Amino acid sequence: MQPIQLFELASKQAEWLATRQSVVAGNIANANTPGFKAKDVTPFQSVLETTSARMAATHPGHFTETEMASRVITTKPTEEIGVQESGNTVGLADELMKEGQVKRDFELNAGLVKAFHRMMLMTVRR
Amino acid sequence: MDPLVASLKVAASGLEAQSTRIRIVSENLANARSTGDTPGADPFRRKTVTFTSELDRLSGSSTVEVSRLGFDEGEFTTEYDPGNPAADEKGYVKMPNVNVLVEMADMREANRSYEANLQSIKQSRDLISATIDLLRASQ
Repeated sequence: MQPIQLFELASKQAEWLATRQSVVAGNIANANTPGFKAKDVTPFQSVLETTSARMAATHPGHFTETEMASRVITTKPTEEIGVQESGNTVGLADELMKEGQVKRDFELNAGLVKAFHRMMLMTVRR
Repeated sequence: MDPLVASLKVAASGLEAQSTRIRIVSENLANARSTGDTPGADPFRRKTVTFTSELDRLSGSSTVEVSRLGFDEGEFTTEYDPGNPAADEKGYVKMPNVNVLVEMADMREANRSYEANLQSIKQSRDLISATIDLLRASQ
């Protein structure tokens, strides 16, 4: 039987979306912080295609960052927002739009997992 | 730490920072006409807030903190009012360096940022409940 990869893919995307949400929340919280540079996560496509190198944990006390946390990058200031007088590059409208995107994708993701789960149950029941 | 829980924490730090800012703005507005009480005394000096981004080591996300409550070193304006207890020998009183228009604009901006942070809290909560809903028995 072929291994079922959908759950793995879906949980990876959910993790990516959750990381993106926390990065966007950080940008919004720092919308008025002087010198703060807006951040984002690398696109999901590139997360799928490449595996990032991580530091090895050789002791249980070592903290390792999750794979997604190492994907957080500083974004280039966009044309219309640019760099503000205070050195801040966060555009609130942009961030709220990203939040909307994250929400839509997350709900689609959860819906797919639910549908797939229902299909599996259908084969098991009765 | 779960990134969604971390984002709740980050947004909460934003709410706290913006509410401190609104508090300082209202202090400035309330004292917009507060003069000294001895001749030639300095009036109320406008307060300022500066934010700084702080790395939350547990989750690796950047929260916001109030780094410094400072004073606006700008010049005081003077007004002719010989009856005031703070009037100097020529009858001029130093008035606070608070510009009500600037304070209003600041308040609006703090308001917008507060709302944006609230929005991210709502969103994180929705995402968490979408995840929990997966566990609910369908049908």
